[in-house]
Amino acid sequence: MPQFHTLWTHIELRGPDEAGPPLQIGSPGRIGKPFHSQWLGRIGEMQVLPTHLGPTGVASLLCGFIAIEIIGLNMLASVDWNPVRFIRLLPFLSLDPPPAKYGLNPFPPLREGGWWLMAGFFLTAAILLWWVKMYRRARALGMGTHIPWCFASAIWLYLVLGFIRPIAMGSWSEAVPFGVIPHLNWTATFSVRYGNIFYNPFHMLSISFLYGSTMLFAMHAGTILAVTPLGGERETHQITDRGTAAERAALFWRWTMGFNSNYESIHRWLYWFATLVTLTGGIGILATGTLVDNWYLWGVKNGLAPQYRPAPDLPAAPPAQALKTMQDKVLGR
Amino acid sequence: MRIGPPILAVGLVCAGLFTLFVPTWNLPTQGTQTGPNGPSLVQYAPTGSPLFQTRNGPPPANPPLIEDTRPATEAYKNVTVLTDLNAGEFMRLQQAITNWVAPQQGCDFCHAGGDFASDAKPTKAAARDMLKMVRHLNADWTEHVGGAGVTCWSCHRGQPVPAEIWFSRPPHPQGAHMDKPENWNESGDSVRQFFPNAGYELYLLQDTPGLAQSYTALPNGQVADQVVVKRLYEVMMQMSAGMGVNCTYCHNSRAFYDWGQSLPARWTGYSGIQMVRDINRNVLLPLAVRMPQTRETADDPHTIVLPDRMRGPQEGNGFVLCATCHYGLPKPADHAQELLTVFPGLKGPGREHAASATDQGGQP
Repeated sequence: MPQFHTLWTHIELRGPDEAGPPLQIGSPGRIGKPFHSQWLGRIGEMQVLPTHLGPTGVASLLCGFIAIEIIGLNMLASVDWNPVRFIRLLPFLSLDPPPAKYGLNPFPPLREGGWWLMAGFFLTAAILLWWVKMYRRARALGMGTHIPWCFASAIWLYLVLGFIRPIAMGSWSEAVPFGVIPHLNWTATFSVRYGNIFYNPFHMLSISFLYGSTMLFAMHAGTILAVTPLGGERETHQITDRGTAAERAALFWRWTMGFNSNYESIHRWLYWFATLVTLTGGIGILATGTLVDNWYLWGVKNGLAPQYRPAPDLPAAPPAQALKTMQDKVLGR
Repeated sequence: MRIGPPILAVGLVCAGLFTLFVPTWNLPTQGTQTGPNGPSLVQYAPTGSPLFQTRNGPPPANPPLIEDTRPATEAYKNVTVLTDLNAGEFMRLQQAITNWVAPQQGCDFCHAGGDFASDAKPTKAAARDMLKMVRHLNADWTEHVGGAGVTCWSCHRGQPVPAEIWFSRPPHPQGAHMDKPENWNESGDSVRQFFPNAGYELYLLQDTPGLAQSYTALPNGQVADQVVVKRLYEVMMQMSAGMGVNCTYCHNSRAFYDWGQSLPARWTGYSGIQMVRDINRNVLLPLAVRMPQTRETADDPHTIVLPDRMRGPQEGNGFVLCATCHYGLPKPADHAQELLTVFPGLKGPGREHAASATDQGGQP
């Protein structure tokens, strides 16, 4: 007798292979022979494969492979093709965008960002093609297109960082390098350069939605698991046909905080919180350097950041004479 | 029998024991608030990087002073830098320098076999430059070294080449289609110690403006170069790692640019950057140009061997940075203050004096 467990998945359904709906005329075939895995059944569906790539999926994987290949080979070349150093230094290796002197030149020398532009082109192509594939699968299955649009929000942030904002600023050098630590250094630098990006209200919104998403997600998943023994796993069915699970879940939150979402609206909350993380984040990045140059000063100007009194004994800036004396020593004057 | 729960329980107990006993817990953390409430201006006691701690031992015992009040210039031939010492002080300092810089190699590291007056070895010329530099730093860079001062031990700590140095990036090979590595350090005990040297040249050798933040809320036509600002970030991070402090030791991190919100230590730090530039531009660059052969004599027993962590394709000239002297501490544990009272020859007359001597037609 299968038994429901409140903390991890215990129930695995093993049935005959499911082939999916019949293929439409002219549609490419599905890939892979289906099999069942007990271990994968613990975290998801027992049946693995077949999958559907289609022309856009194949093109996307190809572009993605080219992009990863360009990045990886450039990194390998930068350690003189030494595989041991490549693995040791992998977190620190990078493929950088062209320096500022090339502006928006689409064909800088290969070693000075040419490879970066190429990798960026193929990576962007791969992501956009994958979006098309997602959209087409959603349509083919007669679903709504919520998932592709949510993904499009993430693509928006990606395009702002690597394409739209560099064009607005007039230089590819504004874009993010490829590499683990290098892209983190870029992020830290970007924040400091524009006077502390925590004062950017769109950054604030993005963080609120991000943390809000995780909180809502935990609240929702916890609620559903808690009422599953009462039939709560049939949650969308209970949107219109409320059973005891829906009533108890609603009562729990109403008695906890006075107000509750319902089986429909909680999914809209989650959907919009998640989608708005990257939507607002992208707006915040796009406004940085183009509309606002120093977010801290912008915050002071708009009453967001307090102005502290300067310390009484300290000058507001080093005396010019002291700076000059020092410079003379350095320049040997 | 269900084996899941027991395995999970054992795993949790093991993970708990690991977390308790394997990391070096240093609790409770001691912090000192250095600014107003709110901006989190707190300094934690430097825990000291293990890499640096091996260098922060006491200096070797001082050699005995032998009474000899003749001027050094009379007692010894070819004395050009330590002309203000008597022969006893001179010899004592010479022995101390050997202990500080070349304890294994001995006098022969700089002096050609037996003839102490000979200038045959390039290391002797380098040592003179280094002595002049120390005398200059102690006399002219009080903004940074303050009353404590520096000695040879401050940087060398018993090694001919100080353990913490950086190398300028070699010029790009002509016709290469891919970029060269960025001189990342290949070992370290925090991420920051791996950061590349590529930017040090901009700030510790050349004169690149360090102000990246805008003074106005809205764009004013001045656009900083993101790549150059990233280099500045790496330079500031070597400073932070080299001294074992965080950004808020000097800056109020909500407005890095603003001197009015910064702590007084920022001026000491800023003058340190300028001092490093003075050393790199005016001492080490000419020195490296003059003696390029020193690092190529691998079969010479007195050759200068680069420290282990300087592996990889390090070319170009060696230069100093904050960690060269600080070794992970905000105030270097180099005992310079005591040493300088014992060795007065390490403090020179200063630029002012030299300038006036030149004006009067004296020997510079």
